[in-house]
Amino acid sequence: MSSFLQSHFNSSAIPTIRSTRTFRRNPDLSPTKFQQDQQQDQQQQQQQAYYQQELHSASSIPGQRQVSSHKEIRQYAEQTLGSGSALAQAVKLPKGEDVNEWLAVHVVNFYNQLNMLYGTVTEFCSPSTCPRMIATQEYEYLWQDPMNRRKPPVSMSAPGYVEALMTWIQGFLDDDSVFPTKMGVPFPRQFPALVRTIMKRLFRVYAHMYCHHFDEINELGLQTHLNTSLKHFVLFCREFQLLSPKDYGPMDELVSRMLDDDGKSK
Amino acid sequence: PGRIGREFYKKANSPKTKRLVTVCQMYFLDYYCDLFDYVISRRDRIKQVEEILDGLPFQERSLQWNNYVGRERAFLRKKRTKPRNKDFH
Ligand SMILES: [Zn+2]
Repeated sequence: MSSFLQSHFNSSAIPTIRSTRTFRRNPDLSPTKFQQDQQQDQQQQQQQAYYQQELHSASSIPGQRQVSSHKEIRQYAEQTLGSGSALAQAVKLPKGEDVNEWLAVHVVNFYNQLNMLYGTVTEFCSPSTCPRMIATQEYEYLWQDPMNRRKPPVSMSAPGYVEALMTWIQGFLDDDSVFPTKMGVPFPRQFPALVRTIMKRLFRVYAHMYCHHFDEINELGLQTHLNTSLKHFVLFCREFQLLSPKDYGPMDELVSRMLDDDGKSK
Repeated sequence: PGRIGREFYKKANSPKTKRLVTVCQMYFLDYYCDLFDYVISRRDRIKQVEEILDGLPFQERSLQWNNYVGRERAFLRKKRTKPRNKDFH
């Protein structure tokens, strides 16, 4: 268990959405979830022996057989960028895969996508345009200093909040005991809970962009990318039950519409 | 109110924003190409492995299956930990 994880993450004391409707707090881990985690650990141990043997041959797996040409795949990606059914298939845990490994790959992906998307609006999201990290006037996301949990959560500008958030996540990504890079090293026990917290906070960046920068994103021609990214995100969250409806805040309706569309197309 | 104005287009047409938008578009296209490529080929690999294992005795089957699953997992980890910026310091 790393010191970084200990000092930056405590699943029972996670901030904090301030809403004019109700006060929202993070639910504690449920007992069923805990059992699942234990089962995962066992599975993980069994897998490890095999896994370590494969240290050197890992790179030989892909491309054993070329399914389609790269050009075909590219066309497919262009067509489906924005369509739900391909994404709904893509989020599913492959048979036999370790859940934490799958979660980890996706956290990195959504972190990168949001970095890219928010990066394009940084010119339009400044402390003067967005002095508070809000999504509609009804929701404000407060920042809890991870180094000092005794300090109350504070109101920050949107760019300040996003920067603090991304730095906080990057700290985990760079920490080998949280996101292991070496073959055979297991994920920490709290990993699924950490993933839920990271995803919950990442979602707020989507919420801010949708509620306050959608016109600009539209004008930049990135609305398809933003929609695809969000759709992928919510499908992934649904598949692994990472967020609860209240975490979607002002986006609740849009999110359930996205999930409905997908239900029909399957 | 009035977010989309002359000021917006000035910034939107700046070389910096244009570059960021292009990088973002390329990133998404590459990512989803790669994702669908991975999903399709992994599904095919599972099918192939299952067909091969079908003919094996039970114990050998689970051994070989775990072996295969371990390799897939190792590949996924390697993919996740591909050099990031921090590796170029
Ligand atoms: Zn903003």
